[in-house]
Amino acid sequence: MGAISFRVLSALLVYPSADQIAAVPEFRTALDAEGLVPAAERSALEPLLANLATGDIYELQEVYGLLFDRSRALSLHLFEHVHGESRDRGQAMVDLLGMYETAGLRATTSELPDFLPLFLEFLSTQPLDGAVRHLGQTAHILEAMAERLKKRNSAYEAVFRALCAVAEARPEQGDVDTLLQGPDPDPMDLAALDAAWEEEEVRFGPGAQSAAGSCSGDGLIARMRHARRAVPNEAAGAGGGQ
Amino acid sequence: MSHFLDRLSFFSRQQEEFADGHGIVTTESRAWEDGYRKRWQHDKIARSTHGVNCTGSCSWKVYVKGGIVTWETQQTDYPRTRPDLPNHEPRGCARGASYSWYLYSGNRVKYPLVRSRLLKLWREARQSLPPVAAWKSIVEDPQKRASYVTKRGQGGFVRGTWDEVNELVAAANAYTAKTWGPDRIFGFSPIPAMSMVSYAAGSRYLSLMGGVCMSFYDWYCDLPPASPMTWGEQTDVPESADWYNSGFLILWGSNVPQTRTPDAHFYTEVRYKGAKSVVICPDYSEASKFADMWISVKQGTDAALAMAMGHVILKEFYVDRQVPYFVDYARRYTDMPMLVRLAKQDGRYVPERLLRASDFDTKLGEANNPDWKTVAYDDASGSLVAPNGSVGFRWGEQGKWNLEERAAGGETKLRLSLAEHHDGMAEVAFPYFGNREHDHFKGTDHPDVLLRNVPVKTLALADGETKVATVYDLFLANYGVDRGFGGGNVAKDYAENVPYTPGWCERISGVPRAQVETVAREFARNAEKTNGRSMIIVGAAMNHWFHMDMNYRGVINMLVMCGCIGQSGGGWSHYVGQEKLRPQSGWLPLAFGLDWGRPPRQQNSTSCWYAHTDQWRYETLDVKEILSPTAPAGPWDGALIDYNVRAERMGWLPSAPQLKQNPLTIAQKAAAADMEPKDYVAQALKSGELQMSCEDPDAPENWPRNLFVWRSNLLGSSGKGHEYFLKHLLGTQNGVLGKDLGHIGGQKPQDVAWREEAPEGKLDLLVTLDFRMSTTCVYSDVVLPTATWYEKNDLNTSDMHPFIHPLSAAVDPAWEARSDWEIYKGLARAFSTVAPEVLGVEKDVVLTPILHDTPAEIAQALDVKDWKRGECEPVPGRTMPSVTVVERDYPNLYKRFTSLGPLMDKIGNGGKGMAWNTQHEVEVLKGLNGVVGEPGPTEGLARIESDIDACEVILSLAPETNGEVAVKAWESLGKATGRDHTHLAIPKEDEKIRYRDVVAQPRKIISSPIWSGLESEKVCYNAGYTNVHELIPWRTLTGRQQLYQDHLWMRAFGEGFCVYRPPIDTRAVKPVIDSKPNGEKQIVLNFITPHQKWGIHSTYTDNLLMLTLSRGGPIVWISEVDARRAGIADNDWIEAYNVNGALVARAVVSQRVKEGMCMMYHAQEKIVNVPGSQMTGKRGGIHNSVTRAVLKPTHMIGGYAQQSYGFNYYGTVGSNRDEFVVIRRLSEVDWLDRPATDQPSELNSAPRMEAAE
Repeated sequence: MGAISFRVLSALLVYPSADQIAAVPEFRTALDAEGLVPAAERSALEPLLANLATGDIYELQEVYGLLFDRSRALSLHLFEHVHGESRDRGQAMVDLLGMYETAGLRATTSELPDFLPLFLEFLSTQPLDGAVRHLGQTAHILEAMAERLKKRNSAYEAVFRALCAVAEARPEQGDVDTLLQGPDPDPMDLAALDAAWEEEEVRFGPGAQSAAGSCSGDGLIARMRHARRAVPNEAAGAGGGQ
Repeated sequence: MSHFLDRLSFFSRQQEEFADGHGIVTTESRAWEDGYRKRWQHDKIARSTHGVNCTGSCSWKVYVKGGIVTWETQQTDYPRTRPDLPNHEPRGCARGASYSWYLYSGNRVKYPLVRSRLLKLWREARQSLPPVAAWKSIVEDPQKRASYVTKRGQGGFVRGTWDEVNELVAAANAYTAKTWGPDRIFGFSPIPAMSMVSYAAGSRYLSLMGGVCMSFYDWYCDLPPASPMTWGEQTDVPESADWYNSGFLILWGSNVPQTRTPDAHFYTEVRYKGAKSVVICPDYSEASKFADMWISVKQGTDAALAMAMGHVILKEFYVDRQVPYFVDYARRYTDMPMLVRLAKQDGRYVPERLLRASDFDTKLGEANNPDWKTVAYDDASGSLVAPNGSVGFRWGEQGKWNLEERAAGGETKLRLSLAEHHDGMAEVAFPYFGNREHDHFKGTDHPDVLLRNVPVKTLALADGETKVATVYDLFLANYGVDRGFGGGNVAKDYAENVPYTPGWCERISGVPRAQVETVAREFARNAEKTNGRSMIIVGAAMNHWFHMDMNYRGVINMLVMCGCIGQSGGGWSHYVGQEKLRPQSGWLPLAFGLDWGRPPRQQNSTSCWYAHTDQWRYETLDVKEILSPTAPAGPWDGALIDYNVRAERMGWLPSAPQLKQNPLTIAQKAAAADMEPKDYVAQALKSGELQMSCEDPDAPENWPRNLFVWRSNLLGSSGKGHEYFLKHLLGTQNGVLGKDLGHIGGQKPQDVAWREEAPEGKLDLLVTLDFRMSTTCVYSDVVLPTATWYEKNDLNTSDMHPFIHPLSAAVDPAWEARSDWEIYKGLARAFSTVAPEVLGVEKDVVLTPILHDTPAEIAQALDVKDWKRGECEPVPGRTMPSVTVVERDYPNLYKRFTSLGPLMDKIGNGGKGMAWNTQHEVEVLKGLNGVVGEPGPTEGLARIESDIDACEVILSLAPETNGEVAVKAWESLGKATGRDHTHLAIPKEDEKIRYRDVVAQPRKIISSPIWSGLESEKVCYNAGYTNVHELIPWRTLTGRQQLYQDHLWMRAFGEGFCVYRPPIDTRAVKPVIDSKPNGEKQIVLNFITPHQKWGIHSTYTDNLLMLTLSRGGPIVWISEVDARRAGIADNDWIEAYNVNGALVARAVVSQRVKEGMCMMYHAQEKIVNVPGSQMTGKRGGIHNSVTRAVLKPTHMIGGYAQQSYGFNYYGTVGSNRDEFVVIRRLSEVDWLDRPATDQPSELNSAPRMEAAE
């Protein structure tokens, strides 16, 4: 049957609770017993596990909330990264629900179907090769999340590195770049900020079909999505007066 | 061979080409169509709307698939209109269509959140203490309290469970009620019309407890005080369909296509019918392109323009030629025939109060309320009469409160002018303010006082000989129209520079006088030909100035002169805020717990926030600056807040907290003194044993302690003086740049205690309910996740269309969200559980101001007497607030919350001075909702368990949705007017609208006397229609449209008649302009905050689709000329600042904008793309960071017919457009992305961006 490691990684990505903290030794045992997560990634998880086991729960919870509840760029909802606020998102969630139902599983929480820990738990119930294939489809998101968490020096990065390692499929670097490009301009780099804001020249004729700069349907959609996601990163962060 | 078998009988073969080669057959896959089909598949469609402060009130289809909301489209099933009138649909705009993303947005509040430091303290305390004692142990320990209070707005939330959070909040409420008094528990929620059950949930919880509900319409400055002054009505306006009946439309400071998008089609359609349209606004707005003429008026000088247009109309249609329709209208429907006493002052006359029947020895035969019956000449007999309809007829007698042309039982025709009947001319003094100096507004050098000749009669009155003149003659003189009476300050020619000619206006407003003349003439000519089908649509742009009443009264005067009010296609269309809660009288009992106890505690927010955010400590406006040169004798001393305190103690305005002493302890003291509570309070106030809280707002006993905010972004979009809120109310980091009066040696108030150290952090607990992490949430201690507009059942109405329609739950609330109804129900349950620790059944002594539409509204007729100064005795309900004892059953608060209390059965219901029996409706509700079966105090009462039960309570009790009640209400009104009005509702007596009916289709409401228009098959809804056509008086002193305001304070501040007043000088720039140079050029611009195209109306600007279409963050629009002066290029980062604070935004440089002003759209969020300010060193503020509320004394008047307090009806308003800011380019932008020093760190490095919160 499925790999218990997915359930551990899922548990590591939920809101810190006393139950979860108490289970940290169990997590270690399960990961080591199964060996699905390669050794390097497994040991990279150690700071997070240690932090969970020993940290102040209020601080752990605050940190989790700030990272994952308040920031679009680090949303644990997969489709936030794929569809943003487009109307496709609703249908995509419906499809995902269908997949769970086909597998005989019914979501019992109030979480959305694209919530990563929920998705990982689903994978833990599936045969390994299928699970890995599914996970592979999200590889570019996992990679981008890992990059962003790394920038924040967050121990949670390790969970995503582990997931990437488990997912056999390497993400197309282009896909990762597209994701990374949008959301995370260095806020101190004014030129980069201005570039992100700049209106692009409208061109017709040869070259007009390039995805980013044209008036073609695809191009516009791509630009909309790009712009849409370029904003939330700041949106998430630039809170009320420091 | 027949080839029979070669032929196909039932088929033809597919051909490669058909239609002469225009069509070809292909065989490629059509699987792509599945995508299209999937796009439109759904499991169900729910009907809902967007509960935002937008008058659109559009019904939407919400599509649900697999339990997930996938998209929305406009509903198109509104009931049809009649022939020759376009239908209402499509209603809905791009902003509404972008809403569904909010449900699943990363910005959604998903769990109950609590500031972690507070939660930790709470859990620790709860280990050994019961709930109330636990809360006490936290807030009474200064260190513990400060540990979370000072961290507001700086992150640090953790999740709590509902049970735990409810208990914490309930314990705080119980502690506060016990320790300080329930009137220290405040709730702020605006605009019930947008989701009335959600509003009622919180206000019911608070009201049952004795908490305070804060007003919003006045605080938002959406309330036009000119409306209550003129009509005794908060706001009543034509529905948008009535624009189609108009022949001449002026859009004055209203941007219809941009901010009234779903209604704009009526405006474009009527132009095809030949209507003329003039748009008046400083900038080239979206509406301007629809105009036949665009008038670019200097911002803030609209009153000058209106006065000049009025001058033209009076001269051409009243003096040079008399239009019979206009004159007849003025005589019957306005106060113009009424007589005004003239008082001698410095050798000249000034208009004093209106003459009353009581001024005569005979009292003109009026025994009942002669003080409140105004007097005019009967034209035929030349005798003096007290005509029907004045407020004196409204109370204490029946049958003569009407606008029939009758007086003392006989017919009468009132005389408008004494021009043919005078016994002399008097030089009457009119104040002139247009000469006051202002750095940014041009004036003229006319004297302070303009003397003009007016025909008068001398009467022998009880107090001696007195000269009187008609309002009409004074009114024309005030406009400077030459009527051949001689004397100065009148103009024969429009070019003359005499107030208020077009020539004079050109100097003030910059509008060429030819434009003024043309528009005025055509406006009036259309009204003459159509009997009043000229309309003026006004907007916030006019109303948000300190002297907004002058702008509005100028416009109202034009409409009244031309007989447009109360006529189809005519009238005053003030569309600012979704004020129209149509089933209001059915909603009030639910919302304010009137079924269990009356009266509720309601507070006018502007005065309260002014006091409790300590904005008064920074006041720079001296009363002398706004006082009239013709003010009657009096000290007229003190500061603005002194006037507010005087108004509070005289019973004019409400007070919260009311007394320094806990109101739960007063009844006991009264009993100990063997006195009635009301007598005890009066006596104890006089002796000083009790003190009013308003006299010392900074004393800890008088602080508001708990605040609930729901359905609102109080600290974001609606906190005028945002930085003062942060500093004094919340006690956290802020960007206030100025110093208070103590530090600059300013003049301190007289009646208010000055404390050297201003308190910081008055609130113990700030609880916000929202579905998104708004600016207010970020500053809260507890954030409760509420249902979105697609996840709850509720009702919605608007003034723009006549329908009532629902919000209905398409899906269950996502994550742990709950509807507002369920949240407050949960709090009520928790409260009832924890309260017995300290509270039982208590006697709460409630102070209420003298209320409009009650018999008490005729309190002080002739003069103003202040008991505190020994000028009279404190008499509750007459010279001081009313005093009532209300029983609170704290342990049973939950049971009371969830059932319809016995007072509906015992006392009945009513509204706006009417009362009717509701026993039948109560019985119906018991059948509909079921009765409480559980033994106890509520057994056998109708249940109000669910939000749908609550909807049914509203719908059953309201005349607008229950025809039977409508008939009862009209009957009630008929008793007062002596006329039968029931014919307006009898045809609909059997119509009863229920919640499921409006879910099926929006329903048109039933005509009700609560409103002044009709819902009928013959006319569109138009305000004042029943006053004109059913002869129902306006609810004013004269019973007519009141153009002369004769209250002492109105005269003192020079606003008896409408005059032009330049914007006030807020002195916000000079103290700081040179304090921190950054090497860039600085310019000073007027700061204007209109509504925008790229946010969810006035409410949010964090919608990513909209941000994408705009500039993606905060922006300020400036003109090309000003940009050049300051070296600012489009899209540059700029800083705008003054003493109130600073904000940082991108510049939008546009030729659209008028030189000298800048525009920052309302409701741009602090949580979206806001870098640091060089001025404050903090993250840049929001549009409210550079504003501060300034009170106007005339808005505090009370106990005087139409100028009496009503919740959201009258009171001070939060104007903010007189403000100026310094603008400069920012060459460097600092995003403040460094971690805050003491944030919890994760592996020694705090999250990069979020810590900046």
